[in-house]
Amino acid sequence: MSKSISRRQLLQWSGLSSASLLLNSCGSNLWSKEVGQAIEPLNQATQALLLTQKPVPEYSLEQIEPDKLLINTFAQTPQIDPAKYRLQIEGEVNHPMQLSLNDLQTMPLTSMVIQHVCVEGWAAIVQWGGVRLQELLRLAQPKPNARYVYFKSADGYYESWDLVSATHPQTLMAYQKNGQSLSADNGAPLRLASPIKLGYKQSKWVTQIMLTNQLMPKTGYWEDRGYEWFGGL
Amino acid sequence: MTSARPPKRTKSPRLPTQTLLAKIFHWTNLISLFVMLFSGLQIYNANPVFGGRSGWNFPDYLTLGGWLAGGRNWHFAAMWFYALNLLWYGLYVMISRRWQKRYASGSDLKALRVSQNAKRKNYALHRLVYTAIIPILVLSIASGLAMYKPASLHWLSSLFVDWQTLRTVHFIAVPIFILFTFVHSLLALRVGSIHLIKSMFV
Repeated sequence: MSKSISRRQLLQWSGLSSASLLLNSCGSNLWSKEVGQAIEPLNQATQALLLTQKPVPEYSLEQIEPDKLLINTFAQTPQIDPAKYRLQIEGEVNHPMQLSLNDLQTMPLTSMVIQHVCVEGWAAIVQWGGVRLQELLRLAQPKPNARYVYFKSADGYYESWDLVSATHPQTLMAYQKNGQSLSADNGAPLRLASPIKLGYKQSKWVTQIMLTNQLMPKTGYWEDRGYEWFGGL
Repeated sequence: MTSARPPKRTKSPRLPTQTLLAKIFHWTNLISLFVMLFSGLQIYNANPVFGGRSGWNFPDYLTLGGWLAGGRNWHFAAMWFYALNLLWYGLYVMISRRWQKRYASGSDLKALRVSQNAKRKNYALHRLVYTAIIPILVLSIASGLAMYKPASLHWLSSLFVDWQTLRTVHFIAVPIFILFTFVHSLLALRVGSIHLIKSMFV
């Protein structure tokens, strides 16, 4: 009898030791949400501090890695008729707009060769061509209280960015990849592309850009499932 | 002037002692490094460094966080403890001038080559091994930062040639730290028995 009690006690003690708490949490997501909530404000402040409007150094065309850009999609790939496509810009702006693909393609084209970094750990050097989001927002004229930019996609994907990152000179609404028209898999007719955010922030098939003065409860498809909101590089 | 020296204590040999700061460093380093390691393997599994999506995965019991987002939360929390711990300890070693006495020097290298004294040789090897881990600790922070912020810290990530090299350098820290933990413990045991290890942790 006394033997079994002492064994139980021993198990209790070992269960309380920090080492076994650590081991018990391995393979489960115990505490990972709380840990993220505790540390994310500090990580985000650090990233915001590192963020400048200075362009990130680019690569040469020879350095493009066409095979390395993997396709990640949360649902199906929408097929969008380029002739019927419209981009809405609305929310906290003085001039809400609706742009056709032709409207976008007659605006100044910006091309960049940058590194696309996926949260999963892979990266690819890609050329993107398109219109600076900065330029689109200049036309739409954000109201002084605008602080966030929401992106809605044809497949139901949604994202939100801080306005500072959205107006970075290398944040593009892209319709070209590696010198060719964007394919449906990569987000045709229009997608976000930027070297300063992780891949899941770079929505494909964007149909709506909405400026807000605050973050809404839903901040992004993957963010609502646990990824960091800022996702800065 | 007559000297009033206390009577010499010749009986028990002096047990090794460590400063409280050295103990705090050891505890924080050990715990944060293991959190980094297990959460790092979780991150690894999302896209293996070797083989990509078809690469081999570490078993679940070696991972921390449950899935990629959880692994990243742990990894990017523990990094602060790990890096700041190393930073203050580095400053302490500099300011207290411990680096002059407590780390491997030319005399240790000489002892390893020419000394006939086995104890002296063990001691030199012990010092050499724990001194050599410091640049590795710093390298894993540098490669980690280069991957965490490749755009903001572009100057740093460009030092690592390309992304695959960067990921490989960062990952190599895992086997090195595990190996170091064993070798460092064994050498400490050989140099100062269990007393030396105990002195560093309690």
